[in-house]
Amino acid sequence: MSTVTKASQPAMPALKKKKGFWSTLGKQWQLMIMSVPMLLYVLLFNYGPLWGWLTAFQDYQPKKGLSGSPWVGLDNFRFLFGREDFLLAIRNTLAMSVINLVFGTVSAVLLAVLLNEVRNRTFKRTVQTVTYLPHFLSMVIVVSMAQNIFASNGSVNQLLLALGLVKEPVFFLGKGEYFWWLVGVINVWKEVGWNTIIYIAAMTSIDPCLYEAASIDGAGRFQRILHVTLPGIKSTFMVLLIMNIGHLMEAGFEIQYLLRSGMTMKYSDTIDVFALIYSFGSSKPHYSYGTAAGMFKSVVGIILLFGANKIAQALDEDTLI
Amino acid sequence: MKKFLAMLLAAMMLLAMVPAAMAEAQEPITVSVFIGDPGDQPTDDNRIYKLIEDELGLKFEFEFLAGDLAETLGLKIADDVYPDLFCGSNYAETLENAGVLIDLMPYISEEKTPNLYKHIYTDDRIKQLLNEDGELFIIPNYGINYNEEIRNYCNGPAFFIQKQVIAWNNYQVPTTLNEYFDLIERFLAENPTTADGTPYQGFAILCEGWRHFCLINPVQHLMGRPNDGEVLIDVTTPEYKTETFIDKPYSKAYYAKLNEEYHKGLISKDTFVMNYDQYIAALSNGTVLGMFDQTWDFGTATQSLETSGMYENTYLALPLVYDPEYVDGAVIEEHYLNGSVMNKDRGFGISTTCQYPERLVQMMDTLLSDDWQKILNWGIKDEDYSVTEDGRMIMTREQYLNRSDAQWRRANMAYSIWDQCPKKQGTQDDGNAWEPGNQPEIYFDQMSDYDKEFLTACGKKTPAEFFNAPIELAPYGEAWQIDKAPIDIDYNDFLNIQDRWLPTIITCDPAELDANWDAFVAEITPSATVYSEFMQAEVLKLVEAATN
Repeated sequence: MSTVTKASQPAMPALKKKKGFWSTLGKQWQLMIMSVPMLLYVLLFNYGPLWGWLTAFQDYQPKKGLSGSPWVGLDNFRFLFGREDFLLAIRNTLAMSVINLVFGTVSAVLLAVLLNEVRNRTFKRTVQTVTYLPHFLSMVIVVSMAQNIFASNGSVNQLLLALGLVKEPVFFLGKGEYFWWLVGVINVWKEVGWNTIIYIAAMTSIDPCLYEAASIDGAGRFQRILHVTLPGIKSTFMVLLIMNIGHLMEAGFEIQYLLRSGMTMKYSDTIDVFALIYSFGSSKPHYSYGTAAGMFKSVVGIILLFGANKIAQALDEDTLI
Repeated sequence: MKKFLAMLLAAMMLLAMVPAAMAEAQEPITVSVFIGDPGDQPTDDNRIYKLIEDELGLKFEFEFLAGDLAETLGLKIADDVYPDLFCGSNYAETLENAGVLIDLMPYISEEKTPNLYKHIYTDDRIKQLLNEDGELFIIPNYGINYNEEIRNYCNGPAFFIQKQVIAWNNYQVPTTLNEYFDLIERFLAENPTTADGTPYQGFAILCEGWRHFCLINPVQHLMGRPNDGEVLIDVTTPEYKTETFIDKPYSKAYYAKLNEEYHKGLISKDTFVMNYDQYIAALSNGTVLGMFDQTWDFGTATQSLETSGMYENTYLALPLVYDPEYVDGAVIEEHYLNGSVMNKDRGFGISTTCQYPERLVQMMDTLLSDDWQKILNWGIKDEDYSVTEDGRMIMTREQYLNRSDAQWRRANMAYSIWDQCPKKQGTQDDGNAWEPGNQPEIYFDQMSDYDKEFLTACGKKTPAEFFNAPIELAPYGEAWQIDKAPIDIDYNDFLNIQDRWLPTIITCDPAELDANWDAFVAEITPSATVYSEFMQAEVLKLVEAATN
């Protein structure tokens, strides 16, 4: 992200010379052309579908289409907020997001710091590869592995029983209270290596002189980590944190959907799962409820993103926008 | 020279036009087909599909269900282009309500489609099939019988038990809930594991998605009624009193019994979080001793057990009822088998984006002819079956076993088309059964030796003899077929509360059972009331339509 701010700096002197917008644009025509595909992508896939938000204010019926379906104002939103399962979905989304955010960040930073201290290149590379490989596995596979591992006779329960930590198998998959934590653990297993990459990259850009200087001043290994490594990745950390807060309403969909069952329903359904089930899950599809739920989620997400950015500005940290 | 060229050109054009004109009638087309159930793609050189392609000029491109049915359909509806032949399986109403299917009535007439016409117009069937606007979107795929109906086995709901357990019990068959669980308990005490040391699971309950009927449906059958979905209907009174049964005290007895068995170790916790594939895998391994289900729901498991010769692990269907102690001393008579019911709204519909609906209706009509029905049901004469001197259609053991071999079926049967198209059931005019599996001599002769000995030892000739004869179909049909779209939010709540509470009630501490049950009833009452009132009205509507 710091590269973005640097890249925009050459434009600043141009503005000071009071040259017009168009001449700046002309000078940077190569950059403009390069950004066209991304612009098209965003317009097509991110702004285009916003048209469909109209259905959140309709009783949308595919037979009649967008123009023929009756308008209902805010009825769909009133319906959603009158439903206990929607309020639960909001709670579950936020809870699982926060757990994912904390678990994900802490585990990634920890692993990155550890790897940064390893001097044996082969070992470091091996650990890095092994930890990020699960990122490429499909969630379906990860969840079915987890279902086997956490089953009553799965390896985790066998281990707990063998160690004498529990008297009878723990019902990990069927107890709603465990669901959020299970999702957190599975996400860490799948994503920790991947999330580490960006922190390791940030650490390699720390000037080695700083470490030498700290050593000369008598700092031990832990003090070097505390006073050089961690401050060195602070800006990366903040940018990622702001981005993640913007995504706080995105607790994921696949993992909950695959792992849920009748018994865990109250804890498993995120807003995305809720939207899917109401849109498609019964003999009469309610697309409008699904759209309204999705729209609510996006609006809250935008507010959170700007909010986090403001706070970061106030703290005088690197900001995203 | 120029003239010659011009003539040549004209001649060529004429030649080119001839095949075009000839092909107009039977221009080969590729039909896209969606099947709302998981299935196997047929091979490219499938004999029967090849025949259909040669004779009717229709080639099929199948898409089978992968994932959740309701969601797959919802996504397909949101598309602009639908498959030509659209099978919504258990959620066919979704397709009708979304306006994805065309009305088939304009294409059906006595002259153009005589077979279909006869199929749906005889016996006042048309009355039941047409909706209020006189439209017909789907022609039933099952349940229209010709001549005499043959039933050798129960294809619907029942309690199931591995045959080895009955054999172990000296072929004494349980008839009540207590006897059933008592038998499984005694068997497990003596045989805790299979020969290779895998522990047996006493009783499995599939709770996934729409298949949760294994969890929520049994009580109506224990009370002596056939399958009406989630309501118990008193057909003896003229007002057809309809009520949800899950919230009634007589249901508590069943779940309390399951709770007791859970604490005895017959039921594994994992059964409540198991998906359908895991369930079928467990059944196919032969480690599940009993369950409540419907025969068609685990057909793949039965097939794989038979293919691997594990006949003693296949299941016997039992019509259990409550012991008198659960129902104030009343003795309940079982009625699991119902009169044949048209599988209304199940089968192929034709989508609005289909370019050639008439061709497809014609196809259904052609395939419904006697000759094609023989090919679809039996195969090719002298290859898949033979005819004896006195006109009986028979199969050798190998020919019969082929039919349950999934690999063989991919290459030699037009299974999906047969399965979803309107078909003839019952008996042919010459007395042969329409389906080979129903042909009495085939059913008995081709049964495995194990099954023959098993049935003989039980003193029965067919598995259907364990059941009472089918009762007369109620005028409303079977209530599970009623479309719940008008109250679907309440209906979903009603189902979700059961999905959430019933596993808790089965697994809870017996001391908390009463409190949990009361909490469950309190939570489900509002949606159950809406649902039972709706069903009551719908049932009366259907009764009225059928009697007028």
